[in-house]
Amino acid sequence: MSVKVGDELSELVKHPTTRQLVQYAGAQGDFYEIHYEQAYAQSVGLPGVILHGLLKAGFVGQLVTDWLGDRGTLKSFEVSYRGIDQPGRPYHCRGRVTRVDGDQVELEVWGEDSAGNRTTVGTATAEMKG
Amino acid sequence: MSDQFVPPSSGLPAANVSVLERLRARIGEAALSTEATVEAGHLKRFAEAIGDPNPRWTREAPPTFLVALAPASLHLAEAEEYGKGWLNGGNRFEYFEPVKVGDRITATGRVADVYEKTGSSGSLLFIIFETEYVNQDSRTVAKLRGTAIRR
Repeated sequence: MSVKVGDELSELVKHPTTRQLVQYAGAQGDFYEIHYEQAYAQSVGLPGVILHGLLKAGFVGQLVTDWLGDRGTLKSFEVSYRGIDQPGRPYHCRGRVTRVDGDQVELEVWGEDSAGNRTTVGTATAEMKG
Repeated sequence: MSDQFVPPSSGLPAANVSVLERLRARIGEAALSTEATVEAGHLKRFAEAIGDPNPRWTREAPPTFLVALAPASLHLAEAEEYGKGWLNGGNRFEYFEPVKVGDRITATGRVADVYEKTGSSGSLLFIIFETEYVNQDSRTVAKLRGTAIRR
């Protein structure tokens, strides 16, 4: 198996727009107004509409499945949201291999804003094919 | 049933401590199940919304799709008496079997924990939800643990 500790996943850069937040709201069925209504978002103390945490998880999930391909099976995927992100700003998804134990692989994954703040942090585990 | 709880009619605002107690009474409560079929059109819309062009998602579910199949959290009206808004704190998925187009999935969710944390910027209420997803063959395909925060 060619995967080794320290391997970096190819960076995935997303360019979320308010339109995409509406599209995601519909696809997930999460119509909480902080994701598409500026005035509402500001009324609850946010700077404006923000990305769904689960949309950011979707971006990071894509990072992982792009890297994994058909070389293995995703066993777990965990993310914590540490900060808010607004549309109109690029979102960078990155990761690296932190552990390889036989066919079990663990990844550290995260999403960061343009200032380099890791607003989504997480881990993924996969079982690689022999 | 805790649904029978009603806010005090005296006009006095319910204290946060009482919201916490009422929510804590729901920990482990017999959960509501919902059933849904994994539809190709829904998978397509979900993958498009993320902007993930992987052709694999025409046949099977991407890692976070299950949240779109059934509500990942129970609607807890009483929680909305606390703070002014919701935030998602995090999500943890465990996968046991692939989820494919045509699968009939039963999602069963429950409240796993409720607690409050007080920091420099005020108090936050944390509600931990757990959802188990079972397919038409009675196989558990995935489990989800989510942290909802009232702030």
